[in-house]
Amino acid sequence: MSEKTLTKADVIDMIYDKTTRNRSEVKKLVESLLQLTKEAIKRDNLLLVSGLGKFEAYSKKARKGRNPQTEESIMLPPRKVVVFRLSRKFRSEVNEDE
Amino acid sequence: MNKSELIKAFSEKNAISTDEATIIVNTFFDSIRNALLTNQRVELRGLGSFKVKEYKGYTGRNPKTGETVSVQPKRLPFFRAGKELKDFINS
Repeated sequence: MSEKTLTKADVIDMIYDKTTRNRSEVKKLVESLLQLTKEAIKRDNLLLVSGLGKFEAYSKKARKGRNPQTEESIMLPPRKVVVFRLSRKFRSEVNEDE
Repeated sequence: MNKSELIKAFSEKNAISTDEATIIVNTFFDSIRNALLTNQRVELRGLGSFKVKEYKGYTGRNPKTGETVSVQPKRLPFFRAGKELKDFINS
């Protein structure tokens, strides 16, 4: 397993190589893109990225929970969670080189 | 929303051409794809992180027919929403 982690700085570098913009402009654009993906997930509860998968937000009901350390029982509020579902194509590509 | 709608929104918001917006959005998602294809972790502040989990193969059984099937080892990318994204969609 590789220890390398792809970070935002790496993504900015890759985009920088493909545009004529300076790095701070590219950084601003990447931040704007991240913001738009978040807004899309929040507003539509769904963001489809062909070849990769989809981000889905769904609602969870309130439920009783417990603090395992203090045994205290608490009510967990209703909330939305985001899951990522892999596209079929990408799933098979990830497993291709076996 | 799908990718082409995202490209359109992105180009309008930043007043850049559709061509440039397409290159940027595609490079963004391709970089995630390529990292995961080579088993790298991905960590994007503001959105979340991706990690490829490896599963060993095992001998399973079809519960309906009782038939033995061998399940091959597989790799599956997982996404964990970051705190900012969680807070954002709940705000």
